[in-house]
Amino acid sequence: MMALRRIDPVGLLVLPAVLYLGLVYGLPLLNLLARALVIDGVPSVAGFVKFFSDPFDWIVIGNTLRIAVLVTLLSLAIGFPTALALARARGAAQALILVAIILPLSVGVVVKAFAWQIVLRRDGVVSQALVALGLWDEPQRLLFTEAGLVIGAANVFVPFMILPIYSVVKLIDPRLGEAAATLGAAPGYRFFRVFLPLALPGIVSGIAFVFSMAVSMYVVPNLLIGDRFQTLATLTGRSFLLMRNEQLGSTTAVVLLVLAVSVVVASSALSRRFGGQS
Amino acid sequence: MDTISRAGLSRRSILKAGAAAGFTLAAPGLLRAETKELVVGGAASHKPWVEQVVIPNFEKKYGAKIIFEGTKSLVNLEKMQKNKGSQYLSVVQMDDPVMILAVKEGLLDPLTAAKAPNLAELVPGATHMDGMWANYLQPWLGIAYNKTAMKTPPTSWADLFDPKYKGRIIIPSLQNTEGLPSLFVAGHLATGASFAAAQKDTDAGFKKLAGIKANLLTIYTQMPQAYNLLEQGEAWMIGPAMSSFASERKAAGAPIELAAPKEGVFAMPSGIAVVKGAPQSDLAFAYVNELLGAALQAQLVGPTASLGTNKATPKPAGLPADLTVHQIDWANVAAERSNWVSRWDREMAL
Repeated sequence: MMALRRIDPVGLLVLPAVLYLGLVYGLPLLNLLARALVIDGVPSVAGFVKFFSDPFDWIVIGNTLRIAVLVTLLSLAIGFPTALALARARGAAQALILVAIILPLSVGVVVKAFAWQIVLRRDGVVSQALVALGLWDEPQRLLFTEAGLVIGAANVFVPFMILPIYSVVKLIDPRLGEAAATLGAAPGYRFFRVFLPLALPGIVSGIAFVFSMAVSMYVVPNLLIGDRFQTLATLTGRSFLLMRNEQLGSTTAVVLLVLAVSVVVASSALSRRFGGQS
Repeated sequence: MDTISRAGLSRRSILKAGAAAGFTLAAPGLLRAETKELVVGGAASHKPWVEQVVIPNFEKKYGAKIIFEGTKSLVNLEKMQKNKGSQYLSVVQMDDPVMILAVKEGLLDPLTAAKAPNLAELVPGATHMDGMWANYLQPWLGIAYNKTAMKTPPTSWADLFDPKYKGRIIIPSLQNTEGLPSLFVAGHLATGASFAAAQKDTDAGFKKLAGIKANLLTIYTQMPQAYNLLEQGEAWMIGPAMSSFASERKAAGAPIELAAPKEGVFAMPSGIAVVKGAPQSDLAFAYVNELLGAALQAQLVGPTASLGTNKATPKPAGLPADLTVHQIDWANVAAERSNWVSRWDREMAL
């Protein structure tokens, strides 16, 4: 009885989520780990040793991380100002921005990737615009390049940057900035020492969302850059779907998972340290 | 085509199907014993021609009912694995690389000329692993090109390497079955070795392929995407390109054409085999025999844009009579593929 009473009843609210995730995520994850760490019925790390001793696999890890970081940065550069605008806007303008952010979420990734294929073509609008502006001498191809992949992927993931930042920023009391101003704080100081620390939790969850989606994306690189650019996710997919090499597939999946989780955990730890002090 | 399928669906066969549906729930074993029913597992893309041409022909001749399950080769393999000992599939139509896996697991009953006489009438290279399976049709691999962009059609595989097509070429990934000939063609172009030799020694092929990189728009894994780019004119050629897919797009009005290079085209595998422990084993061999026969193949080569494997089957319209057709050594592919893909990843990367 004592033990039961100590459980906060509010804690019970997470029970459905815990059961659901435990069943459809936790158990399969254990299965995946087991496959990666058991070879021919014997526990072994040979799969990982083999993976990490191949220089090519480090290139794949590099590809995966570089693209994820660039996509996250681009999403942040686009998403942060948008989130501020959204928080400040009122009435119809706010509704319009929200619709513009949320509506594209209902369009499938494959459709978006195909649309980018048209936009990034040699005779597509981006190439034409750059030529018209005199930045390019002749139409060039952006399709199937890393730049094209980053631009296209950021388009897919940017709502997941905007929405968490917006939900935090809209709760920041505007009077805090005014109070700082009356105490003599310059605009730059107010932004960096008052506003940014308060917005940081939103930024960190936006980064965590976008990074973890970008690091594991499969369909977008498949369609926007193709077979010549391998990431951990595409390598995993191929190992399972085509090569029937479950050992390699589960190894790359575990490596991907560890990378994604550690980046997300590290970023939230950093934010707690720096955000907490202010 | 429509009339064919309607003729097959007579009032009696509808009644029979209805009764069968009722029976299936009650006594599936009994049903199979009484109505002579044959279950064939194939690819979803086979469905139109199997249902419109093969089934009506077969049902009329043998008075048996055929149920065609159209999925994917690997799904059929799994169905056989799961039901080992109590198979319900009698015949499988699968890609050759998957046939090899099925042979390794002991899931196939070898074909013999005694049980399927047409086996003796096939072109060389159409029977595999001592008759474990045979090819009934062979879609072929040539070069697909955009008619608007290319005023003169490509004539040789070497055209893919021509520097004037910088950024305009798409090739399939080596992980796609239709992508394998890129490697063999490159080897042949580099050393002049025969296509058979180039399949065994791929080193020269890999070195030659590095020279195509500047020409590549991309390497595809999703075929529809590649054809989309070709039809829009962003890409000018896809090679190797599968006849069955390209002709389907062409028929739909896409501005593309398929060329047969002078060095010859490659045959793609469409294998057929009898399942070991198959129900209605005699009928299963009869079904295979029909698909290996010239009469049925002649009706199928047109709609599927494929070559027949029976010596007596005429070539589909539009192909040169002296066309060379190269066969791919699938056992060699099965043994080497993961090494090839691994090297391909490294050397063809951006």
